[in-house]
Amino acid sequence: MKIGGSNLNLIALGLVVSGILVGCTGGNTSNGTGNNVAAAEPDTWDGTEAIKIGCVTSISGDNKPWGTDQLEGCKLALNEFNKAGGLDGKKVGMVEGDTASKPDQAKLAAEKVLSQGVVGIVGEVSSGNTIQIANSAKAKGVPVVAVGATRTDLTKDSPHVFRVCYTDAFQGPVMATFAFEKLHIKKMAILTDNFLPYSQGLSDSFREKFKALGGTIVADEKYESGGKGLPDYQGVLTNIAKMNPEGLFLSGYFTEVGPITKQARANGIKATFLGGDGWDSDTILTSAGDAILGGFFCNHYNNLDTSPEVQGFLTKWRAKHGGSDPSTTMGALGYDAMSLTLDALKRAKTKDSKGLLDAVEDTTGFKGVSGEITLKGNHGNPPKKAIVVEVTKKNGANWQKFAVSYTPDQIK
Amino acid sequence: MTTLSALPLASVDFTTLPQQLVNGFLLGAIYALVALGYTMVYGVLKLINFAHGEVFMLGSYGALFTSWMLGFGPGGNEALTGSWVTLVIMLFGSMLVSGTAGFLIERFAYRPIRNHPRIASLITAIGLSLLLQYGGQIFLLQGGKQAINSKVNPYADDLTFNLVKPDQKLAAEAATYQKRVDDAQVAKDKQFEHEPDRFNPSPLGVSLEKTLNELKEKQSDITNKANLTAVTLKIPKGKLIMLTAILGLMCSLWYLVMKTRMGRAMRAVSVDFNAASLMGINLNTVITFTFILGSTLAGAGAMMYSTFQAAPIDSFSGAAPGVKAFVAAVLGGIGNIPGAVLGALVMGIAENLVTWSGYSSYRDAIAFVILIGVLLFRPGGILGSNKVEKV
Repeated sequence: MKIGGSNLNLIALGLVVSGILVGCTGGNTSNGTGNNVAAAEPDTWDGTEAIKIGCVTSISGDNKPWGTDQLEGCKLALNEFNKAGGLDGKKVGMVEGDTASKPDQAKLAAEKVLSQGVVGIVGEVSSGNTIQIANSAKAKGVPVVAVGATRTDLTKDSPHVFRVCYTDAFQGPVMATFAFEKLHIKKMAILTDNFLPYSQGLSDSFREKFKALGGTIVADEKYESGGKGLPDYQGVLTNIAKMNPEGLFLSGYFTEVGPITKQARANGIKATFLGGDGWDSDTILTSAGDAILGGFFCNHYNNLDTSPEVQGFLTKWRAKHGGSDPSTTMGALGYDAMSLTLDALKRAKTKDSKGLLDAVEDTTGFKGVSGEITLKGNHGNPPKKAIVVEVTKKNGANWQKFAVSYTPDQIK
Repeated sequence: MTTLSALPLASVDFTTLPQQLVNGFLLGAIYALVALGYTMVYGVLKLINFAHGEVFMLGSYGALFTSWMLGFGPGGNEALTGSWVTLVIMLFGSMLVSGTAGFLIERFAYRPIRNHPRIASLITAIGLSLLLQYGGQIFLLQGGKQAINSKVNPYADDLTFNLVKPDQKLAAEAATYQKRVDDAQVAKDKQFEHEPDRFNPSPLGVSLEKTLNELKEKQSDITNKANLTAVTLKIPKGKLIMLTAILGLMCSLWYLVMKTRMGRAMRAVSVDFNAASLMGINLNTVITFTFILGSTLAGAGAMMYSTFQAAPIDSFSGAAPGVKAFVAAVLGGIGNIPGAVLGALVMGIAENLVTWSGYSSYRDAIAFVILIGVLLFRPGGILGSNKVEKV
């Protein structure tokens, strides 16, 4: 009896302490978009619909800035679809699953939404988590439309996996070409996060292209962001600083890239920082300080794009989020993935997983916010353009300055 | 520089060896603070406190929130810079949070089951560790990893020691390029002010850029050659202060354990739990004191790790340093105070040597390889044996 009582005391105390801590800090942590969602308009579904789609993403954990944006993007698309008449007059529902930004929990989240009978799954924002979701969905033949998972071999041997973003086999060469041709960098160092399948794949494709163009990789170092690895970069940065590279390619996520760039400058590395779409969150500005300014990374679209798709999407987003733009690109990609799935559902011959899978596979020239998406004959990997943006000081919501855009034909 | 041609990236560069040894020593010093907590608790209770890594994590949050209260939080005053007072307040903040956490853990989780079989305490320790990791996900900040604002540390600049000066001839040659590079840079910048798109410049811009890049490349080639002949040691001033603080803490610990009544009681308890009790030593007081002491040291380590190493903080960030420090404690001989410090330094240096040799992907594996190696030949750890007085 005593044990139980004591543990309860401990938990109660924990609640009080953390309540105080959260209370202290609640006012100034608005780094997600979830905080200013207008509560006025309820969602158009309640979970009792016959046809439901799963939205599995990182609603908590490290990748929360991406996950909440995907969720909001999906909600926006589904509300729009249901208001426009739904599926032959019937509303379509959505089931949320939280992966907590971790592969093991991604599996549980996928199984949770699958057990509720969803016909398709939209998600995830990271490749490591999408692999788990795809494995769970495979047995039931449920199609998975990935939002921001760029790892190249994700769709290989998995005919039920699709994505609305480009792949690392494209993104890496884009950055290599940009660094070599536009920034005139000849000597490059690479720092890979060995914990992320995404980072490994991206570094590989970057390294290969940069060498093929005639550049040299003067240092190729690794760190580990999760598991038993320790976030200590001093050793690898000493090695890199000695080689005095002109560019440093950081293929990890914003959570680590921020502190790394800060430490790299402290170690006397003067190189230009380059990275992939894993940098895309404005929290990188706070964790890196001024070190990250002038760095370049690859992204999917830019809020300043004047095309009707982008501006139309932003108008709808702002109307729902009190005038603010999505802080990461996952808002638009989440919206694209959900709209594409719903568009396919409309075209599907049978309104089940099999019909949906065939219809998604058949998608041609779908006009998304992040560009035109054609999945037919592409094995789940749509050929899309990529843009390179420069990190600048935050000016309103915008902190990415458009630099160059590349189409798949330009990178061969 | 020697390069093994069969392994193109596994290059060993002896000019960076001194720097890597220093990096390893500084990292090892932080491990040592955490390892001391494991070893002291084991000394008195024969319990491996697996929640010690989470005490470390709470200490990092203590430092983070203290820095926020001092005005270094998100949205704080940009012009604010820290001083040594800031650092000391943060150190005390994190030590206070960790010490309190250690006290509460002992009082409410371990004390009620102290007389039960030891396996119960062990499972409780693991359970507590998980509770704090995942509970922290809910209650501590949910916006992902946090980092302490680097402005709290005013001692970011380096002390540079030129152990071997760069080749004079090459250095002089590199210097002759400086003026030409500067001139070319000015010419290019002037032209690029009028260019609408810096990535698609006009023919004049292209040629100016080309001249600049060629000059820069020649200069950097020579500079690199010169650098490869030099051996320099850069130590941030902040880390020297950190090291001094760690040494100070260790001296006070030594004084506490060896020269005070409480220290004598701790040593007595570690020799024989029951006999110490019969001699009139209040076991509860001694054990509580040990937990607070060990946790406070972990808190100090956490503050230094998150401030001077700029390590990101989340509720799992204590797990990795915890495991490393535990391995260090076992390596040095668990229960032995100097052993924990020695083990930690060995670990820190070994890890950086692995990185130095070019195999940075195996860095974290080395900890366990060393552990297995040492335990095969010295099961008690480097300094551990039954005859050594344990605390």
